[in-house]
Amino acid sequence: MDYIILSVTLLAIGIVGLVTKHDLIKMLIAVEMLTAAATMNFVVFGSMMDHSLGQTFSILALSVDACVTAVALALAIAIYKKLNIRDVRELSEVKEETRVQITDSVEED
Amino acid sequence: MWFETILAIGMVTSAVLAIYLKETVASVLSLSTMMILLALLYFNLNAPFAALFQLALGTGTAAIFLLAGDSLTTKRNEKTSLKTKFAIIIASAILCVPVLFGSIVTPSFMQSVELSLSETLWDLRVVDVLAQGLVVLTAALGVAILLYEERRRK
Repeated sequence: MDYIILSVTLLAIGIVGLVTKHDLIKMLIAVEMLTAAATMNFVVFGSMMDHSLGQTFSILALSVDACVTAVALALAIAIYKKLNIRDVRELSEVKEETRVQITDSVEED
Repeated sequence: MWFETILAIGMVTSAVLAIYLKETVASVLSLSTMMILLALLYFNLNAPFAALFQLALGTGTAAIFLLAGDSLTTKRNEKTSLKTKFAIIIASAILCVPVLFGSIVTPSFMQSVELSLSETLWDLRVVDVLAQGLVVLTAALGVAILLYEERRRK
């Protein structure tokens, strides 16, 4: 079995999830999957080379990934508390409405 | 060989389930299953430290974060239909085929250098480790600021 194909398959599933899903939490799950697939390559190539550098990089990547998840989740919670929105399509609509309001106020001035 | 095959099938199936199940809790549990199988794969590849980090951060911390996020943001209840579940199983089966039977010719790598993990971490990549500490600190500060702003508004 080829681990690279497994990694590419997981990456593809993650990309499809990121593109097709509109829920913020689901998108975060897809991002987690993408990073896991990318990190897997470090360990696989490190194991093929019989070198501990792959493990080192994977540990660094996993720590940074946990930080990314924490910040993204804090942003999602902040957006939900402020706008009561969990769907990115609704968030885009709010963005458009805000833009129109700003443009109108600038034209009035 | 059979152990790796079971791990690969399990990982692909749980990944598809994590994306396409409508219940968020079930999605997070599927993602955790995928991460546990990934950790087992790392153990199998003689990378125990990476496996432990994967179990602690990838499985534990990420699942807790996501479940906390889901509980703090309410959403209307949706159930996965039987048709969707059937489609998920078919998609998983199709995606398992290239994983099990595909092959890519990889070039032979340079000769290995005998170094322990601690030597690699502290002698070769010490700048990375320090930068990682900075990233973790910045992330903690960012989360604290975001949540403090929300509390102040209330």
